[in-house]
Amino acid sequence: MLKKIKKYSTWEKLKDNLFIIGITVPSFLYLFAFLVIVLFYLFKFSFGEGLPILSVFSEGEFRKALFRTFWFMLVGTPLQLVVGIILALLVYESFKGVGLVRSLFLVPIAIPALVTAVILNLLFSYPFGHINDLFLGKHFFFPKIFTAPLNFSGSEFFSISLAMLGKVWRDMPIAMLIILAGLQTIEKEGYEAAQIMGASFWQRFKYITLPLLTPAISTVLILRSIENWKEFIFPFIVAPAYPLLGVLIERLYHVEQNPQLACACALWLVIFIGASVFLFTFLTKAVRTYLVKV
Amino acid sequence: MGSLVKIILIGIIIFFIIFPIFILFKYSISDKDSVVTGGKYPEPFWPFNPNFKMFESLSVRGDFLYSGMVSLEVGLLTVIFCLFLGVPTAYALARFKIPGVGVLLFFLLSIRLFPDISAVIPVAEQFFKPPFSYLPPLVLVALAHTLLSLPYTIYIAEGVFESIPKDLEEQSQVLGASRAYSFLRILTPLALPGLGAAAIYTFLLSWNEFVFAYFLLFQGTESTLPVYLLRILTWSPQKNFIAAISLLICIPVIIFTFAVQRYMRTGLTAGAVK
Repeated sequence: MLKKIKKYSTWEKLKDNLFIIGITVPSFLYLFAFLVIVLFYLFKFSFGEGLPILSVFSEGEFRKALFRTFWFMLVGTPLQLVVGIILALLVYESFKGVGLVRSLFLVPIAIPALVTAVILNLLFSYPFGHINDLFLGKHFFFPKIFTAPLNFSGSEFFSISLAMLGKVWRDMPIAMLIILAGLQTIEKEGYEAAQIMGASFWQRFKYITLPLLTPAISTVLILRSIENWKEFIFPFIVAPAYPLLGVLIERLYHVEQNPQLACACALWLVIFIGASVFLFTFLTKAVRTYLVKV
Repeated sequence: MGSLVKIILIGIIIFFIIFPIFILFKYSISDKDSVVTGGKYPEPFWPFNPNFKMFESLSVRGDFLYSGMVSLEVGLLTVIFCLFLGVPTAYALARFKIPGVGVLLFFLLSIRLFPDISAVIPVAEQFFKPPFSYLPPLVLVALAHTLLSLPYTIYIAEGVFESIPKDLEEQSQVLGASRAYSFLRILTPLALPGLGAAAIYTFLLSWNEFVFAYFLLFQGTESTLPVYLLRILTWSPQKNFIAAISLLICIPVIIFTFAVQRYMRTGLTAGAVK
């Protein structure tokens, strides 16, 4: 009798586990299959005939794109962090209408990146666009700064900066939300004590907020640096004449019909992202131990 | 911080957020005269004779409407794939003691950190080959979008299931229901609002998605709305025409984003602060 019950329960257990496996496996299998496909083709093409993974460095365009992408990442990431911190500090303490302001600050995330890029192109269009009109002094309320309309998309500096502006504008709510979540974990007692002892806003920020915020800051830095490395849409629409790595990959694939070189580029992009994540993690850890002195 | 400084700063930031969207709206309702000025006078910030002519002409434009339908179909297909694959997995992750669920979820979300532009060429190369190339391009795009949004679907749905007490299921099972039955008839109705948010999120991701749709539909004639917008851009059409299309793409996104904001926030900041 006892044996029978035991047998029954193991069968039930197996059935249970089968059920769990049956409902868990398909989605993981789906994701895993794509991972295999992606890695397979990236390595197959990059290490194929003529070793494109090395020969891609002899292409001048690749080196230029790498350089541009590096600067895009290096300037854009801290910029997004600073904007995120400012936005978060503004809506952190509650005041009348804070809900509305927070919702308004979240608006950019609701605008598709492609549309944001298109708006930038409309605003900065040449020769007649709002920004050109403004800087040419055509409106009575703004001083004349340019003498001739500026072709923003024809200059490397301006077109890449514009792409960065679009990226910062579009993604600032994400940085803000992460910083805000970090701020909310900081206990108020520290501020109150500091305030009683006569600390100014800046001192409170520097000696209390910033050190306690380092986990959130490092998250923003790492996530945003990845996003900036792999940015495609903004440079593709706003700065097509000066390709970043993402745009170069598209061009190699569609215009030059060279999937081997494109995959080599794509693999390098992944490698650079990995290296920069490693570097940022290391750096923020060092900064944190310096600031918090643990 | 002085409250006056704060108010001014908030004002400036809100201006910078609203201004581009206002300009988009302005262009879309602009009369032709206030767009093509020929440099005689500056483009006005407020349109002369605002009208809805652009939207009227778009509402009878075949290729635009067709792209809208394509976008809708791809989005719905993606939602169906994601829910079918993701919801059971999320249920298993939330209900059964699987070691290292937190790590697993973290890895799931970090799939999205892999650059799209690096993943798209291998996926396109594979999809253009026989077993896949027999499928209609729309399904291929939906499959790619499923890849992108499945981690989020699982993550959001896991949170939803975790918030529903386990006792309800246990009671139904004590009364003799099977696991599958209690999942379908007890749990699913309770989880529906949260799963709805996951579905909307998935749909929006597909609706906005550009890179995979662009690469997979590059040679064909069909296009989702973002790809359609890009194809339009290559003819360098009038500003008010571009603006009207862009605005129509935005509207559902803006509405639904604020509907699922609560769920999106947790998704966006997931793992942000330990």
